[in-house]
Amino acid sequence: MHSRIAPLLLLAPGLGFLLVGFLVPSVAMLFSPPGTSTGEVFVRLGQMLTDPYDLQIIGRTLMFGLVVTVICVVLGFPVAYLLARTSSRWSGLLLALAIFPLLLSNVVRTFGWLVVLGSNGAIGQLLVGLGLVDQAPQLLYTPLAVVLGLTQLFLPLSIITCYSAVSQVDAGLDDAARGLGASRTRTFWDVVLPLSLPGIIVAATLVFAGSVTAYTTPYLLGGSSNRMLSTQLFAYSSVTVDWASASATAIIMTVLVFAVSALSSLAGRKGATA
Amino acid sequence: MRTRHPVAAAFAVAGYIVMIVPILFVVATAFTAGKTLKFPPEGFSLRWFGQALSYQPFVGSLATSAEIAVLATLLALLVGVPATLAIHRGRLPGKGIVEALFLSPLVVPELVVGLALFQQLIVTFRFDNWPVLLIGHTALLLPYAVRVTGASLAGMDPALEEAARGLGASPLVAFWTVTLPVLRPGIFSAALLSFITSFNNVPLSLLLQSRTTRTLPVTMLDYVQQSYDPMVAAASTLILAVTVVIAVIAERTVGFTRIFGGINR
Repeated sequence: MHSRIAPLLLLAPGLGFLLVGFLVPSVAMLFSPPGTSTGEVFVRLGQMLTDPYDLQIIGRTLMFGLVVTVICVVLGFPVAYLLARTSSRWSGLLLALAIFPLLLSNVVRTFGWLVVLGSNGAIGQLLVGLGLVDQAPQLLYTPLAVVLGLTQLFLPLSIITCYSAVSQVDAGLDDAARGLGASRTRTFWDVVLPLSLPGIIVAATLVFAGSVTAYTTPYLLGGSSNRMLSTQLFAYSSVTVDWASASATAIIMTVLVFAVSALSSLAGRKGATA
Repeated sequence: MRTRHPVAAAFAVAGYIVMIVPILFVVATAFTAGKTLKFPPEGFSLRWFGQALSYQPFVGSLATSAEIAVLATLLALLVGVPATLAIHRGRLPGKGIVEALFLSPLVVPELVVGLALFQQLIVTFRFDNWPVLLIGHTALLLPYAVRVTGASLAGMDPALEEAARGLGASPLVAFWTVTLPVLRPGIFSAALLSFITSFNNVPLSLLLQSRTTRTLPVTMLDYVQQSYDPMVAAASTLILAVTVVIAVIAERTVGFTRIFGGINR
């Protein structure tokens, strides 16, 4: 008897908490925002998916997400590969340096770009000092600033995910390929990379989902000309208090993240059977 | 690191530059004697650290952040660890679904969770901001409690507990003397990760804030928007220093990379 009821008792507080503190409010948000009907939310959703201004924000969010994902994989995989495959007394420290930023507040990390990209910042001053330009160029509040900021934010995630993928590929396979006469480059492209692919897909999904929902970076580095879904959601809920629009934006964000996760698990399954 | 992969090494160096260099610039400007976020810094002084430490909104919101992070961590472990035990040890129908349910707050975008709690609990049901902030943070941390302690439970041999029971220990004694010690590193890792996640959180804290309930990261964001001076650089440097201490403690106890590499498995 005890083995039947005990697990339920152990689960009850957690499940109760999830229900009240997460599941019920999330579902209620879709169907009854304060003083707004379900109909209004879905009308607004329909408008967003056809209105050029809203479509531009959705497009920009997707674009930033894609660019940041590509950069994070292209820069993150080599770091992971070298950390997993070369051993030196520095590798422990380098691994720690790659993971450490995950502990550090996004606000602190993003703030660094204000110091680097700002009009009195390092890059501007350097260019002026070298006599290349008369006045520091406008680097903040540009798409470049947002992409740099998001890349810094999500690179560690990409690195540790790729690192665990490469570590699981038996280093003996590298040696075997080399022993059979493959060059280092060929070994990398034909052995290590395909075997790490499932991990790379996971890394790409995490980075994409993170970038299309991040708030701090587009808020601080993007300014008003680089609105993303996240900054827009905050504006709807706290500045204009437009509940229908806020809920509709939330639906778009959630569907986006779920669609990408579903696609990636499909790709992962295909990769595993191929 | 000497390497025979020049292209990979070049990409890796670029990656480290993007990750680390902006942080170094924050630290450098924090020590400026000048009035603006200028680089190179003008002179050397500690005055911005003094200002950050005596600026009431920072100090007040630091207290709020610490309170919420500690309480949400405790709550998440209190309801999450028993749930983990039930998932891994109990004979539950639909175990996979239950586990997915506990991990679900990790999947829904945080801003969306924040919006949901704000709309429903604060606007509709007139809850105060503080308890809702605590509820939101706890929900956000539950996946860590379940996943990280679950990983160390999965690595434990159930025969150990059966042996204890066979030798006459009651279920409670067997749990206390056999299972809990095995779980301890997992619980410690989960607590550390949870505290840091809650302390650094912006999206939830942003939507659930009120004038009296504001966390430090939100206050800092707000300040940066109004004034462009080195006080936030100084506050950031202090946070950085504390974070390094936490990383060292993590390294000495459970192993830094084990804790933080284990999140996304």
